[in-house]
Amino acid sequence: MNFSLTMSPSDLLLLLPEILLTVWLCGILIVDFSFPRLPNEQLAYLSIAGLAATLGCLVWFDVTGITGTLFANMFVLDRMALYFKMFIVGSTILVILASVDYIHRFRFFRGEYYFLIVMSALGMMFMASANDLLSVFVTLEFSTFGFYVLVAYLREDMASNEAGIKFFILGVFAAGLLAYGISLVYGETGKLVFSDMKSAQATPGLAIGFLLIFGALGFKIGAVPFHSWIPDTYHGSPTPVTAYLSIAPKGAAFAILLRMFFVALATFKPIWVLLLVAASIMSMTYGNIVAIAQKNMKRLLAYSGIAQIGNVLIGLAAGTKMGNDAILFYLLTYLFANLGAFAIIIAVSEAIGSEEIDDYSGLGRRSPFLAFSMLVFLLSLAGVPPLAGFIGKIYIFVAAMKEGLYVLITVGLVNIVISMYYYLIVVKKMYISEPHDPSPITVSGPIKAVLYVCLAGTLVIGIYPQPFADWVVSATMMFSGLADPAVSLPIPPAATPIGG
Amino acid sequence: MGDYALLYILFAPFVGAIALIFVSNRQAMLVRGIAAGSAFICLLASLYLFYAYDHVKGGFQFVQKFEWSRQLGISLHLGVDGIGTPLVLASGILLFAGIFVSWHVKDRAKEFYIWLLILAAATIGVFMSLDLFFLYFFYEMSVIPMYLLLGMWGSHTKKYNEMTDPEGLKQRDSVGFIFNFGSNSKEYAAMKLVLFLSAFAVAAFMGILLIYKYSGLNTFDILILREHANLMNIPVLGTTLDKIIWLLIFFGFASIAPLWPLHSWSPVGHAAAPAATSMLHAGVLMKLGHFSIIRVAFEILPETTRELMPIAAVLCMFSIVYGGFVAYYAKDTKYVIGYSSSSHMGYVFLGMAALDYISLTGAVMYMFAHAMATGMLFAMAGWVYDQTHTRDIPSLGGLSNRMPFISGCFVIGCMASIGVPGTINFIAEVMIIVGSWNKYPFQVIVAVVGIVLTLAYLFKMMRGLFYGPMDQKYSHARDAVSAVDRLPLLIMITVSIGFFFFPMHLYNVVRSGVDPLIAKITRVVPVASETTGLRLEARGDNNTALADRSVPFDSAPVSGGRP
Repeated sequence: MNFSLTMSPSDLLLLLPEILLTVWLCGILIVDFSFPRLPNEQLAYLSIAGLAATLGCLVWFDVTGITGTLFANMFVLDRMALYFKMFIVGSTILVILASVDYIHRFRFFRGEYYFLIVMSALGMMFMASANDLLSVFVTLEFSTFGFYVLVAYLREDMASNEAGIKFFILGVFAAGLLAYGISLVYGETGKLVFSDMKSAQATPGLAIGFLLIFGALGFKIGAVPFHSWIPDTYHGSPTPVTAYLSIAPKGAAFAILLRMFFVALATFKPIWVLLLVAASIMSMTYGNIVAIAQKNMKRLLAYSGIAQIGNVLIGLAAGTKMGNDAILFYLLTYLFANLGAFAIIIAVSEAIGSEEIDDYSGLGRRSPFLAFSMLVFLLSLAGVPPLAGFIGKIYIFVAAMKEGLYVLITVGLVNIVISMYYYLIVVKKMYISEPHDPSPITVSGPIKAVLYVCLAGTLVIGIYPQPFADWVVSATMMFSGLADPAVSLPIPPAATPIGG
Repeated sequence: MGDYALLYILFAPFVGAIALIFVSNRQAMLVRGIAAGSAFICLLASLYLFYAYDHVKGGFQFVQKFEWSRQLGISLHLGVDGIGTPLVLASGILLFAGIFVSWHVKDRAKEFYIWLLILAAATIGVFMSLDLFFLYFFYEMSVIPMYLLLGMWGSHTKKYNEMTDPEGLKQRDSVGFIFNFGSNSKEYAAMKLVLFLSAFAVAAFMGILLIYKYSGLNTFDILILREHANLMNIPVLGTTLDKIIWLLIFFGFASIAPLWPLHSWSPVGHAAAPAATSMLHAGVLMKLGHFSIIRVAFEILPETTRELMPIAAVLCMFSIVYGGFVAYYAKDTKYVIGYSSSSHMGYVFLGMAALDYISLTGAVMYMFAHAMATGMLFAMAGWVYDQTHTRDIPSLGGLSNRMPFISGCFVIGCMASIGVPGTINFIAEVMIIVGSWNKYPFQVIVAVVGIVLTLAYLFKMMRGLFYGPMDQKYSHARDAVSAVDRLPLLIMITVSIGFFFFPMHLYNVVRSGVDPLIAKITRVVPVASETTGLRLEARGDNNTALADRSVPFDSAPVSGGRP
């Protein structure tokens, strides 16, 4: 391997969003140190301004079609990387908005909170561009580093500390798996860049190596059997961090999974499809069944998140371009619904200091807006029309159906019904049960803004998905070689029956 | 209006629901006014649709098509044929009547109307969808409003279960008690309804996905699929694919119908629901099942339908007899009407199973007729409950002194439900019985027994509610005096009786939808060597089928009945 760092200024342009955010990140830290009396809100809005500038830069790249690779293919900026970067930056903005009020719970280091959040975002942006096993390792650890601190941010809260320890130990374990897997793969193939591995021979070492890498990424996305950290960590972390943890790292990890499976391992598709089918069935079933027994909102969403990831894995198991489109689409719908639900948890726990489902009794009377928003988000997660989650699920099922994954789809459909039960239990508490304490709940401005954005996203994608579908289709153009031969309308079908 | 009639019908309730979000609950009259206004637009447009539907031309009319998702091959494709048109009209009438029936809702009235309008609009959406995806979309969309309507405004609370009658016995209904694990609270009913319907809806959706995949056309459009999808003779799991798809679709949609072994969510749901919701639920929501089976299974898999429809002929007997007997022994007014509805839906299945021009026309007309009859009965059961706060028949009685108008209407409602001459139900029932006699004589005998049972339990309930001695604690009960309270009942009675005297337009419209379907199903095509050419020939034969109409009620004027 020879690295040549001959970079022209135009190459640096590809790194512009990251460079911009890095500079801004340092700026946040400097401002925090220089003006200790600055109200926290100002710092939050400062971070949001930087993220918004980055987002604008990404949109500009996406519109003008600026793409390319850097550092001997280690860093790739294609439409999919841009999509996931926008996904990450967008979710970071919403999370920071949602934490403006929550931040008063921290007695120390309020400024550093924003620094850490934006730093994780930066790491995840690099993850979305990682095209090489080394950069996968470095960026993955870079992004997780910030989360180790963030999860344990409530210093006096035992649950938060426990969450931090659990997350740290299991996270480091996953990092070990990843490093071991990478070394095995490198030993077998002598290559690190995904696109160079296309011609690799199937050897036991390679298989074990990629299984270990999949394990480490499975830890990031929280798929069964790598999910054990999720419930306690989600429960104990500060709620905005939980919200962040439940969205952004999953998106970034899926960027890597897509590149790994469809670029490096494209020739072994029949084997890894079985692996993904198994992981998907286990995640959906385990997540949904255990969620039924939950008494705490954050734990409920943790288990429902495991089940949702099982749904996304259906799209990955389809192994086609359409499956990849469906993944990107589904993650977008999941972003709005899940972040919205967590924003409501933040608002409610600000008002009544509890996250138990029982304390949501009568929310429909105490705050009709919060209850209605929660209803929309939960039903979107459950997949009820006309909300975004429904279209996402249909997209994934159609993609899998085209590949004939009948068992997987059947399990997925049964799981929709199971998930309906526990989401409706919350709805029942909010609307049917009488409140323990009828005093109305007020919602602060930033949370309202988050809720409006998430509501708009959930409803607009659900009612008119075409532009978003077009967007994800163009984002995964690099996989168009996988696309099954296009069928145009309305030609009569071919004489031979498909499949069997 | 004109070509856009379907959009008015579908979107008027949605727009009304959205407008209601911005109104405060304190402005009660404004809330009701918006709800009634949007329902009225919907009703007017559906009346226009019904009378503007050209039954000579037949086929799908008022077609609207908007591309919705290129990648998935989905378009918002709306259109009605002779089967959808009367059901859209029934939904429009019941929604309008339902708004007035629930005029006195005090608690969160705005939210009540929002969910009621969404429920009705989603139901109407199914009746006009020509795209499998949107059929499922609207079908699923109608379930969640039911949950909230039952849960938030339902009447069957846990407290109700604790109440005792004068002899110290629990007032819970024995039947509902046994089949629902001792719990028939409204929360239980709502959850059971949602889970039951979702579970079977995903089975139907699996069937839809299989159609989508094996047709290989990358479209959900029913019109394209019914012409080009070749789903026959694909061996799978020891049988053929079309049979599996058909069974998934049939049982998936039959659960909402509700066919006998899949019915148990329905009476509990009726019992828990507020009056207007019960009306929509029994009146049109249950017809989604029959309608979707006709629209999906009959249209896309005609040969399989011919082969497997006897399943419905067997199960409908159990529906009729079982529902009838349980209704006879039930002590709760809404359970009686609920089980009677599920029994009467057996007639529709019988009419569908016979696959005969007359019987299927009768089945569709019966759906329309039953919507009116059961709508009346539920509206009046709701009124009695509002006045007396009990639905326990043994503890009620003699109410005709207190509410002569309601008891008079109740007699008419019972007559309509039984199918006494003078109501459209009579025509529909006779057509089902005559049409299926050749094919299923035994089932017809069972159906006649079912009519006798209907007579028995409805008269028993009527006597229990309105005649005999009255408990003095109900002496405060009021009659429906104001125009607002009388209007919904009068509308439904007028429609029910009016169509008896002027059934011709309804008959013609339904017949124009039924004829091509039955012609396609009953025509024996050599399945193995089937080509597009043969199919075209099969469609060509529809004209002859249209010509040989045997019209049983040719005495009525063609102008049709105007209520």
